[in-house]
Amino acid sequence: MNENKRSVQVGIFIFLGIVIFIVGVLFLGGQQKRFIKSIEVAAVFDDVGGLKVGNNVWFSGVKIGTVRAIHFYGKSQVEVSMNIEKEAQQYIHKDAEAAISSEGFIGNKIVVIGGGSPQIATVEDGDILRAKTVLGTDQIMETLQENNKNLLKITTDFKGLVSKIARGKGTVGAVLTDSLLAEEFRATVMHLQKAAQNAERLSGSLSSYAGKLQTKGTLANELVTDTSVFAGIRSSVAQLKKTATTAQEIAGKASEAVSKANAASNNFAAASEKLTRSDNAIGTLLNDPQAAADLKTTLKYLGTSSKKLDEDLEAAQHNFLLRGFFKKKAKREAKAAKDSLEQKTP
Amino acid sequence: MNEQKGPEKPVLTRRLDRFFLEMYAVSAFVGRIFKEAFLPPYEFREIVKQCFEVGYKSLPLISLTGFITGIVFTNQSRPSLSEFGATSWLPALIAIAIVRALAPLVTALIAAGKVGSNIGAELGSMKVTEQIDAMEVSATNPFKFLVVSRVFATTFMIPILMIYTVAVALMGAYINVHQNEATSFQTYITQVFNAITFLDVFSSVIKSFVFGFTIGAVGCYKGYHSSKGTEGVGKAANTAVVTSMFLIFIEELIALQIVSALRPS
Repeated sequence: MNENKRSVQVGIFIFLGIVIFIVGVLFLGGQQKRFIKSIEVAAVFDDVGGLKVGNNVWFSGVKIGTVRAIHFYGKSQVEVSMNIEKEAQQYIHKDAEAAISSEGFIGNKIVVIGGGSPQIATVEDGDILRAKTVLGTDQIMETLQENNKNLLKITTDFKGLVSKIARGKGTVGAVLTDSLLAEEFRATVMHLQKAAQNAERLSGSLSSYAGKLQTKGTLANELVTDTSVFAGIRSSVAQLKKTATTAQEIAGKASEAVSKANAASNNFAAASEKLTRSDNAIGTLLNDPQAAADLKTTLKYLGTSSKKLDEDLEAAQHNFLLRGFFKKKAKREAKAAKDSLEQKTP
Repeated sequence: MNEQKGPEKPVLTRRLDRFFLEMYAVSAFVGRIFKEAFLPPYEFREIVKQCFEVGYKSLPLISLTGFITGIVFTNQSRPSLSEFGATSWLPALIAIAIVRALAPLVTALIAAGKVGSNIGAELGSMKVTEQIDAMEVSATNPFKFLVVSRVFATTFMIPILMIYTVAVALMGAYINVHQNEATSFQTYITQVFNAITFLDVFSSVIKSFVFGFTIGAVGCYKGYHSSKGTEGVGKAANTAVVTSMFLIFIEELIALQIVSALRPS
């Protein structure tokens, strides 16, 4: 009984050990796609960069197989045979390209299949894919070396430049070392600061104005938002334009009148200027005191002579030769006055 | 014509003679093991008993050792990978280390200490107490009954113990990885099996068969050829352990060379 129990325990122990082993092997096989139907494709590379048998093959970032064999091909090329899952065959076309890459920066080398046109047929067992050359670490290092050389040149130039600047040479050097320039620059900066403050105030005002524009019911807001107000304003502006045109015309005429008045005034000024001179009759009358005295004397004589003439004429009326004429004239005037009075009072 | 027999003249030197004689004895012993193993009658009961002693009874000790090994190795490897920001590679590193080297070695060394010494002491005491002679007299083949059964048990139980060790050590490592990197079990297992190959698994299993055979054969040889007296028993147990461990490391080195040659470049 005891022996039987021991045998069972040993049996369970062995059984479980074998089960773990088989599960592990199956899992490993599944992981490495050992028990999956596959096709074989190949690609010929110039350099495989340390690719090994068993390395993974990726398509669109998914592992679809492993490297089956690596052989030299031709003079110096390398043929890489790959086992590709049958399931993935439908996605890989005959014009797809194979490239050597790596799983990460320090990861294993892999073969990456990519590209391929949908209109081209899918790959078949034994097909040879086109190889795509990608930049390897060596090429990257070469480029970096070139970059380093350029960087050295740049830093050398920059060193010389900085040295010149430090010695105050050139415009930048002068700007950095001249104290007067520094003062001016400081003043400029202060002005700029003031300008910035003004701009800030302006922007504040603009902001508040914009805020008012947003306030409903205000004229500004209505101007911006109300279409009827805008239409009214537009018609007002049109009328204002007409009025302005009319006013312009009036102003034109007024300007013309003014220019005429100006001409008249010029004439008047010329006349008045002539009046101030004594080389003409009126000017002499107005300006010459001798002529005025003469005229006054003449007028005095004329007064005396007219008085005497009046007396003479009075005497003539009573002359027998002319008495009849004056009597008839008086009668005619009296009659005319009587007729007009009668006509006014019917 | 009385010829007096003096001390036998050594063929090479005394030491070299002793070494080559020992080599011959070991070879003859190993050859006899193979010969007796295939020839009937088969001592199935004794084999099952020895499998129980060697395998089943060693499981708790081996499991505990494997579990601790997994945790400790993971924890000690983390800083190195962390310097490169590559802690995500920890499962792969652990898997390779455990499957390729740690599990077979740890299992074999623990078994050499526990089982090898046990076999050496047991057979040594039987030799000292003349039980082996008694068995021969009673028409029982002591070699088949004592040696072949034990060698058979160690040869077949060590690989199974190694598989348990792999499983337990990977679990221990997972606990540590999950605790620190919050890696899910599925991701962990995927990374583990991504890193190892069939060559790793089968080379470890085959290596464990060799280790198991070595432990059994050395233990049995030392016990079977132990000198008389209680001192001889202790010496047999001690030399069984030391020689087994030494041979295990030598075999590990040879196995490494063979597997490296087989690994695709």
